[in-house]
Amino acid sequence: MSNKPVPHAKLAAEFLKDEPHRHFHDERLWDMRQKRDEQMHIMPEWQELREQASRLKEHTLAHLPQYLEQFEENARRNGIHVHWARDGAEHNRIVEQILKDHGHSSIIKSKSMITDECEMREYLEPKGISVTETDLGERIQQLDNELPSHVVVPAVQKLTTDVAKTFAKYYHTDPDIDDPHALAEAQRNAARPVLLSGDTGMTGGNFLVAETGSFVVCTNEGNADLSANLPNLHIATLGIERLVPRMADLGVFIRLLSRSALGSPITQYTTHFRKPKKGGEMHVILVDNGRSERLGMDDFWTSLKCIRCGACMNTCPVYRRSGGQSYGSVYSGPIGAIIDPTFNAKKFSTLPFASTMNGSCTNVCPVKIDIHEQLYKWRRVLAERHEIPFVKREIMKMAGRLLAQPAMYRLAISGTEVALKTMPRFALYNYLNPWGKHRELPHPVKETFHSWYKKNRLNKPKAQREETQA
Amino acid sequence: MSDETMSARDVIMQRLKAKKSPQEGAHPLPPVVTLGDQDASPERFEASLALMGGKMLPLQDGEGIEQAIKRAFPELRNLCTAVPEVEGTLRIEDLETHEQADKVDVMVVRAAFGVAETGGVFLSEVELKDHLADVHLAQHLIVLLSKNELVGNMHNAYQERSEFRTAGYGVLMSGPSATADIQGVLIRGAQGVRSLSVIWA
Repeated sequence: MSNKPVPHAKLAAEFLKDEPHRHFHDERLWDMRQKRDEQMHIMPEWQELREQASRLKEHTLAHLPQYLEQFEENARRNGIHVHWARDGAEHNRIVEQILKDHGHSSIIKSKSMITDECEMREYLEPKGISVTETDLGERIQQLDNELPSHVVVPAVQKLTTDVAKTFAKYYHTDPDIDDPHALAEAQRNAARPVLLSGDTGMTGGNFLVAETGSFVVCTNEGNADLSANLPNLHIATLGIERLVPRMADLGVFIRLLSRSALGSPITQYTTHFRKPKKGGEMHVILVDNGRSERLGMDDFWTSLKCIRCGACMNTCPVYRRSGGQSYGSVYSGPIGAIIDPTFNAKKFSTLPFASTMNGSCTNVCPVKIDIHEQLYKWRRVLAERHEIPFVKREIMKMAGRLLAQPAMYRLAISGTEVALKTMPRFALYNYLNPWGKHRELPHPVKETFHSWYKKNRLNKPKAQREETQA
Repeated sequence: MSDETMSARDVIMQRLKAKKSPQEGAHPLPPVVTLGDQDASPERFEASLALMGGKMLPLQDGEGIEQAIKRAFPELRNLCTAVPEVEGTLRIEDLETHEQADKVDVMVVRAAFGVAETGGVFLSEVELKDHLADVHLAQHLIVLLSKNELVGNMHNAYQERSEFRTAGYGVLMSGPSATADIQGVLIRGAQGVRSLSVIWA
């Protein structure tokens, strides 16, 4: 993995160049946000559900070893093989070994962010193991050799015409198809034979239930239930933070998940796996990969509450106008910006700055993660660790000095007001002012609060002040 | 012991136990809640099912279940059945290969229960006679559901239905397979069944 900071702003600018893509992306995500709002408004218990979900996750995270042990014991009793992986590399070796033990070489896989996080395809394919993504969006991204753009809709940055071109190349369909139905049908027809011949099925999972040793997979296309059940070998990969204590707790999370994600009451398939099918074998791999370390971070551990609904992405004005690819990571958008730096602080140092601090992500989060506050805290951490670029750092330092000295600040402000009023556009809007690239600078004010206060309040007798107030 | 000699499990457990935050005592286990509308009426189920893209298949006067299915699917050749009420052209227990199931036009199953809030129907290895993948390979699905086997919402489902603790595989199907992965266009009938119809029976 390259260590170079992801040039988020530059990549976003490139994405914005094409008007149809920019427009569709923004509208599509906002539509998902509005559909979420519609669901929220018809449920008076919405805020109570969020509170309950948050408290359940916080409790589970605070007692993670206990619940992991309980899950493992119950899953083993049900006949599931439970594996533990410290990191992505170990996870990939476990998968390779399971396939080797069975003499298998083809994986049919439903969408899971965590196998992308582990870079599993990149590891297995050179070893002669084929991995076929069967989720439509994830398949499009696989064929185009790109990371998912979004945790729920991986190819949301693409238009029908883009998909038609990709499918023409790999599925030999007409490159000029402009009907999504025809393309979805092409995927169904291409996937069926692969599904029927795959020797190993892989899924991710949304929840692990400690009480019963089950795991739950929430999907829409039906490909996960096919991938898991067609072959006799099912491997499921989940992060250790995916636990809930009791079966009854799922009620809270299932009611929130798809409503927050897409605005639908539930996913088309909510699948509960408790033991291997008759004649089959089932493996669950529990992955740490930095999670135990993140759990120890006072400011950032609550990011582990995330249930990957993508609501924060749909609402984020920066994400909507920059596209998932610009984050250079498996996890993009606001949630990506607060968890990616735990994987690589240098590479993802730019992401916590991809926010306007409007706080909308925090407001829509179904498990109440204080996302925008963590974005702010990451900026501080990264600045302290010198992980932000020279120019930004120097400007921040100058601003810091300026803001720390009231007299100098006032002098600078009056200078700025004069400049905004009198300087020509070319002097204000140039490459030294990236902020002004797509925005207008604020209108200069006639008078600052400070100068008004000095004139009207300071050193005036109380009676006179009250008079002006009345 | 170093990381090399310890098992991955022990290393992860040790890392987790060594952490000081979050504090165990500060986050007690919240009691189980039952929130929101608990109406378990067939009317609510029907409305939710429609929202999820599923259909009701009401029986016409004097019509049997099998007749209704044939009326809804006039082109029907392979009707696979997992219920005694329907004879069909083959029984689910007789499917020998997945390729055979891939050619099934319509599959008929009985759901253990339904969820009024979501229009979901619960199917497990019991109802599917251990043919877990075959139900998803069929082109269309007909689900028989008793009005007496409805729960109100998902809280009720997880608290009241024992199937979540007994089934090895349990899927709540809420409408047919669907995708909106290409330019946000909602397509009913993605990779699993193309349609899902419920008959009160």
